[in-house]
Amino acid sequence: MTERIQTLLKNCLNKKHHALRQPMDSNLTAAFQNPKLPPVVRTSLRLKALLQAERPIVEPFQKIVLQRTITDVPGIFCEQELEEIHKAHYIHELGNVSNINPNYDKIISMGMEKLEEQVKTRLLQCQNEQDMAGELFLSSVLQSIGAVYDLCDRYRQEAMTVGNTEVAALLSRIPRQPAKSFHEALQFFRILHFTLWAEGEYHNTVGRFDQFMFPYLQRDLERNILTEEQALELLEEFFISFNLDSDLYPGVQQGDDGQSLMLGGVTREGKDAINLLSFLCLKASRELKVIDPKINLRVNKNTPLSLFEEGTLLTREGLGFPQYSNDDIVIPGLAALGYSLEDARNYTVAACWEFIIPGAGMDVCNIGALSFPKVVNAAMERYLDQCKDFEEFLGKVNQQLQQECTLMCSSFDNLYFFPAPFMSILMEGCIENARDISLGGQYNNYGIHGTGIATAADSLAAIQSLVFKEKSISAQELIGAVKADFKGYELLQQKLRLDMPKMGCDNDEVDDLAAYLLDAFAQALSGKSNERGGIYRAGTASAMFYLRHAAETPSSADGRSGGEPFGANFTPSLFVKTKGPLSVINSFTKFDLRKTINGGPLTMEFHSTLFRDGDSITKVAQLVKYFIQRGGHQFQLNAVNREAMMDAQIHPENHAQLVVRIWGWSAYFTQLDKEYQDHVIAREEYVV
Amino acid sequence: MWCNMARGLLFDIKELSIHDGPGPRITVFLKGCPLRCQWCHNPEGLAFEQELMVKTAQCLHCGLCKKPCDHAECQPFQRCLHACPKGLISLCGEEVDAEQLAKQLLGYRDFLMDNGGGITFSGGEPLAQPEFLLALLQKTKPLHRAIQTSGYVESPIFEAALEHIDYVMLDIKHTDNVIHKQYTGVDNALILKNLELLKKSGKPFVIRIPLIPGINDAVENLENTAILIKDAKALVRVELLPYNPFAGSKYPMVGKKFALKFDEQESRPIDLSLFKKHGVEAVIL
Repeated sequence: MTERIQTLLKNCLNKKHHALRQPMDSNLTAAFQNPKLPPVVRTSLRLKALLQAERPIVEPFQKIVLQRTITDVPGIFCEQELEEIHKAHYIHELGNVSNINPNYDKIISMGMEKLEEQVKTRLLQCQNEQDMAGELFLSSVLQSIGAVYDLCDRYRQEAMTVGNTEVAALLSRIPRQPAKSFHEALQFFRILHFTLWAEGEYHNTVGRFDQFMFPYLQRDLERNILTEEQALELLEEFFISFNLDSDLYPGVQQGDDGQSLMLGGVTREGKDAINLLSFLCLKASRELKVIDPKINLRVNKNTPLSLFEEGTLLTREGLGFPQYSNDDIVIPGLAALGYSLEDARNYTVAACWEFIIPGAGMDVCNIGALSFPKVVNAAMERYLDQCKDFEEFLGKVNQQLQQECTLMCSSFDNLYFFPAPFMSILMEGCIENARDISLGGQYNNYGIHGTGIATAADSLAAIQSLVFKEKSISAQELIGAVKADFKGYELLQQKLRLDMPKMGCDNDEVDDLAAYLLDAFAQALSGKSNERGGIYRAGTASAMFYLRHAAETPSSADGRSGGEPFGANFTPSLFVKTKGPLSVINSFTKFDLRKTINGGPLTMEFHSTLFRDGDSITKVAQLVKYFIQRGGHQFQLNAVNREAMMDAQIHPENHAQLVVRIWGWSAYFTQLDKEYQDHVIAREEYVV
Repeated sequence: MWCNMARGLLFDIKELSIHDGPGPRITVFLKGCPLRCQWCHNPEGLAFEQELMVKTAQCLHCGLCKKPCDHAECQPFQRCLHACPKGLISLCGEEVDAEQLAKQLLGYRDFLMDNGGGITFSGGEPLAQPEFLLALLQKTKPLHRAIQTSGYVESPIFEAALEHIDYVMLDIKHTDNVIHKQYTGVDNALILKNLELLKKSGKPFVIRIPLIPGINDAVENLENTAILIKDAKALVRVELLPYNPFAGSKYPMVGKKFALKFDEQESRPIDLSLFKKHGVEAVIL
């Protein structure tokens, strides 16, 4: 790492730039909160006001600029309006467009002036056709583009004032002209990404960065205007920029900001896509050790071990990434759901793990979540004492699951997203159709997470063993014990927790039950369509539901007490002592995971001492490869240090840089709420 | 014949162990050891019988486990294994059939063989259950098989096992017989004899030295060890294992006391050049 990068990194981590921030002047909000204006117009007026309020900050030694000085993005609706919107619509999370992957390169390679022309031509058409909605949308787009020009011009002025001629020269070409060099392309990306956050969108993912940026790098290297070292330096500065404003981005906890970056995989034509930039990104992330951008790596069963070793070297840094996705499973899985093969090959991940298509997917990939344990509990309470054998009970569980899914899918009526005219320029078809991306894109599928698979499968296994095989306990007694949260049934609870078959131990008996549940889930969603013409996708992720659903499900037949959380994502139950990482992998790769391909990784924690030497790096890499070869879909492993985490709870001041992975993102441990801290500490940690 | 009926006692199986031989490995821990090294950090591996492990630190002292029960498995301990409301009691030691265990291990054949790994038998002292171990070694044949041993076993057994072993990790805890006996409870003559057999066998081997501050980490002992093995052609390297400061942590669980009396602060930096001087490669794990 060069001295310049060290300084930039230090400044960022010390939050030096926070002193330059201030909230939005409340006198400026009236312009865009005017109830007489259509929402799309208000959105572009807000962007204009916000970017105008931004104060350009350029350091003489910076090569990539733009950082937030305005801390908030005030809403465009007043309280009463919001209330009405909520009454009439289903609102997803905060209501803003989120969790999709814009096609940045579309504009980076075209330049905004050319785009402007296209928008103006289309606007004329709308005027001729008296398409009012189209007119409003496109004129809002033009207004937004103008606001970006204005900000960039002021940044150029500031660069000249501080004598940073390099940045000033850069901004005299972009964003109006297409990027010609790697440096220009990086700065262009920063402008686009920065503007999306300022427009109000969040979880603005980075996408297949090594694919769309490589041509710029390659050209520079061929023309000998850039060396690999210089490219790495630029890349590192660019990566740091993701951490400048991230504390201002909306998320469940800080770190949940969705800045995921995908590396590797195949091209749209199916050719191996890994390139020099993929390796530079891994290296930059390893050197910087900051939580953004979050690195993902696409692999397949033929990926050489050396790439897994590169990945493991990054895992060793304790940032909770890379997260691996298996092309052998994901691509056919997405194709089976109706994505074109070319698009499926071009997949990336949303904020955490959900598989989405860059520029084309307006999928709401985290619209809902099924709680498997809730389904099993409900079926147990209603039907268990009437079932004459376990098969009959399983049938009832399936029936309950189908009902739950049907009910859930009917709850997303009249979905409304706040308009996003600037985001729309980065999404396929929006300008051509003169329609905002918030109204839908090329793909409009809804994803449903599946939480607590292990808790549910373990519960079924316990019911099967005790009630039907051993017959050592009656259905009523078990129902009573679970309802009583095992008060007065402590011995039974111990038996359920310790002596029953558990997922993660390579035990077919219980793993087959998990397969049954996953298949039933995929089956329940298959054939259902949503109001936007999309379908539903089943997944294996939990997001924050490992706490929320667990809180809703008092206790379960696997011996889990009320309030005790589920495992995060696709993992064994927290209190289960598994036989080891190989058994866990075997357990969690027995399924046809192409059917539940919304995303959600097997997550494993390894003690940080495991990664000491080259020999152990290789062994961990072999384990990851084993998971992929066995047909796992997504894998995420963490280097953790429980002692450090426990000490950080007592002495947070000594552990400011301690990073942990939460569900689909990494965070600084001491900035998390205690319930999230405790969950990470409770996960099984493999010491090998 | 013992090959078909051999049963043995294990106290753990560890998947993907990193420092137990070449490549990724599965390590099987056989229960029972004839040595009583004062620094031993696996006290549950010492006894040749099943025993209770009790997490005493969290015990509520409710007395429920002391009430008589009628579970057959609890009778030898006069304590109920299933009664603890916090689940603090577990049985250490699982009796397994060599045939079944071999089948289980062979289930990982592809992973282990593709990656140049294998299985490792450790303990306790794995050679202290010779019939079981020999049966296992035979039945796991295509796999790469390694052993971690104290070398304290009758030489015919050592030689018989060696025939089926691909890689040996042998502890040399001390070259001085008196000190060896004082801290491990046994004579080192047999171990040194077996070391010579091992050298002659041509099997690749590693010498491991657990570094115990003030007991065996002096230059003299390390150098004497280097001299013992400097001429061995099949020696892979010497592995020095730094003292584990948590060595005593599991003793209360098996109702034992950690009795090692030395000053942990006495630990000194290790100079690897004293091995190099004799042409012996050494690493600190």
